Amino acid sequence: MAELLRINVVHSTQHKIFPTITIWILVILGIIILLVEGRAKAKAGKPLFTKPKSIFVENYDKLKFWGCIALMVAYFSLLDVIGFTVTSILFVYLFNTLFGGLDRLKNKKYHLNSIIISLVSVISISLLFGTVFDITLPDGICTIWIKSLGITIF
Amino acid sequence: MPFAFGIDYLAVAFLGVVIGIIFGAIPGMTATMAVAVFLPLTYAYSMEMALYLLLGLYVGGISGGLVPAILINIPGTPSSVCTTFDGHPMALKGESERALKIGITSSFIGGMISLGVLAVFTPVLAGWAIKFSAVEKFLIILFAMTVIAALSRRQMLRGIWIGMVGVLISLMNQFPVNNTFRMVPKFLQSEMQSGFQLFPLLIGLFAISQMFEECETGMRAKYTKEDAYEVSRVDGFKFTRDFKGQWVNVIRSALIGTFVGILPGVGGSAASILAYSQAKSWSKHPELLGTGVPEGLIASETSNNGLTGGALVPLLSLGIPGDSTTAVLIGAFMLQGIQVGPLFISSHPTIWNTVLMAMLVCNVIMFLVMFFPIKLISKIIFIPQERLYPVVLMMCTLGAYATLNGRMFDVWGLLLFGIVGYLLKKFNFPVSCFLIGFILGRDLENYFIQAISAKSGSLAVFFTRPMSWIIWALIAVSILYAILDNRKSKRAAN
Repeated sequence: MAELLRINVVHSTQHKIFPTITIWILVILGIIILLVEGRAKAKAGKPLFTKPKSIFVENYDKLKFWGCIALMVAYFSLLDVIGFTVTSILFVYLFNTLFGGLDRLKNKKYHLNSIIISLVSVISISLLFGTVFDITLPDGICTIWIKSLGITIF
Repeated sequence: MPFAFGIDYLAVAFLGVVIGIIFGAIPGMTATMAVAVFLPLTYAYSMEMALYLLLGLYVGGISGGLVPAILINIPGTPSSVCTTFDGHPMALKGESERALKIGITSSFIGGMISLGVLAVFTPVLAGWAIKFSAVEKFLIILFAMTVIAALSRRQMLRGIWIGMVGVLISLMNQFPVNNTFRMVPKFLQSEMQSGFQLFPLLIGLFAISQMFEECETGMRAKYTKEDAYEVSRVDGFKFTRDFKGQWVNVIRSALIGTFVGILPGVGGSAASILAYSQAKSWSKHPELLGTGVPEGLIASETSNNGLTGGALVPLLSLGIPGDSTTAVLIGAFMLQGIQVGPLFISSHPTIWNTVLMAMLVCNVIMFLVMFFPIKLISKIIFIPQERLYPVVLMMCTLGAYATLNGRMFDVWGLLLFGIVGYLLKKFNFPVSCFLIGFILGRDLENYFIQAISAKSGSLAVFFTRPMSWIIWALIAVSILYAILDNRKSKRAAN
C-alpha cells in the first residue's frame, strides 16, 4: 500500500510529475462530467447528442465580430513593422469606423471625431509611456530616435 | 506606522477613482478592466504610488456601477446586479437622486467596514499561515480552488475541470529545477521560457473577450436621454431618515460582502446577491423589497463595496486573489518584485500601511466625487462604447507588449486568450476558475514537489500533520456544500 502512494522524484524527469497528474485528473473528471451531464439529459428525456447549435447569438453582427478579429490581426502584424504611434493612430481610427457601423459610414462629423480621438489618445499615450516613462513600445520604420537627447518617439 | 502620503499620491488616487467610476458606470466595462488597462502606467511608478492608482480604480470601478443600475436598470458592473431591483423602481418614482445618494453613502460605509476587517484580519491570517509548510500551502491552494468551484452554482465539476486546465496551461514552460521544457512546441521555446504571462492572459480573458461579445451584439448598448431617468429631486436624500433603522442591514450586508470577498475567486455579483437575499429574509416587510425601498439598495451597495477590502485579505496574507480584480493587483506586486503572502506584512510594513491608507483615501475621494456632482456623474452613462473600446484596445496592446520588456508574443497572447475567454463563456465554463487555476498552478506544483521530495516521494505526507487535516476537512466541507447547494437549486428549479 505504502509503495502505491509513492512517487519517485528523479531530477531528470521531475518536470513531468505534476503535468501528468493534472492530465490524469482532467481525463477522469472529464469522464465524470460527461456521465453526470449525460444522466441529467437522459432523465430530462433529451437526446444524449444533439446537433451543436451555433455558438453565436441569433442575428449576430457578422461585420463587427469578424471585422474586429481581422483588424486586430492586422494591427498586431503591423505594430513592429511600422512602429507603435503611426500604426495605432491608423487602427484606433479604423476601429472607431468599424464600431460606428455602416449607417454612420458617410457621416462626416463621426469621422472627424474619430480622427481627433485617435490622434489625441495615441499621441498623448505614446509620448507619456514611451518617451517620458521610457517604457519599451513596438518600434518600426516610423520610429524616430533622437540619440543626442536620448529621446525615442515610437 | 510609516506610510506613503502626500499631495502627489492624492492626485493619483483622484485620477484612479474618477477613471474607475467611468469604467464602472459604462455597462459592458468593468472594474477589472479599468485596473488591467492602467496597470502599465504603474511600470514607471513606485509601489506606493501604484497602489493609490490601482486601489482608486478598484474602489471607483465597483462604485460606479450603481449609476446605470439606478438610472437605466442595467448594472454597470456585475457587482451591482441587485442595485437594479430597488434602485430603478425608486428612479421610476422620481426619486433617482435620493436613490443614487443612498447608494453612494452605502458604498462608502461598506468600504469603510471592509477596511476595518482588512486591517484586523490580514495580520492574523498571515501569522497563522507563516507556520505552513509546503504541505499546507499546497492544500490551501487546493482548498481555494474547490471553494471557487463550489460557489460557481451548479457548475462545480466544470469549475474544477476548467481550473485544472488553467493549472495545466500555467505549466507550459521551462521547469526551473531541471531546466527542461514541457508541453511547449519547439518553435516557441525561446518565447515560452517562463510560460504565458499573467497580464495578456488576464486582459484577454476579461477585456478582449468582452469586446468580442459587444461586437457580436453589434455594440448597440448606447443610451439616449430618453432611456434614462433624469436625476430628479422630487424627494431629496436625508441621511437620518434614509438610514434610520437600517444599521443592522448595513453591517450585515457589509460583512457578507467582506466575507464573500475573502473567499478566493468569488466576485462582487455573488456578494450583492447574497446580501440582498439575506436582507429580504430578515426584513420586516420582505414584500416591499423590489418595489423601490432603500433597504434592498443599501444591502446591495454596502456588500459590493464590502467586497473590496475582503478580497485583499487572502491576497495579502496568503497570496491568493479574492476576486478577478485583485488577481490583476497580483500582477502589479509581481512587477515591482514584491512577493505577496504570509511574509508580506512583516517584510514590507510601509507598503502594508500604504494599502490601508490608500483604501481609506480612495473611499473618501469616491464619496466626495460621486455624492456632490451626482448630476455630472450621471452623464457618464452616455459615453458611447464604440469610442472607448478602440482606445482601451490600444492601451491593452501597449501593456501586453511591455510585460516582459517588449515582446510581440505577449501581444498575440492577448488575441489568443481573448478568443479563449469568449469560448469559455459560450460553453458555460466559469472564467474565474480558469484564471485562478492559472495564477496558482505554478505554486501548486512547486509546493507539491517540495512536499513529496521531503518525504522521499511518499504521498502520505499530505495526511500526517494535524494542520493538514483541518484543511482537508475544509475542502470536504466546501465540496459537500456544493453538492447540497446543487440539489437545493435543482429542487427549486423543478
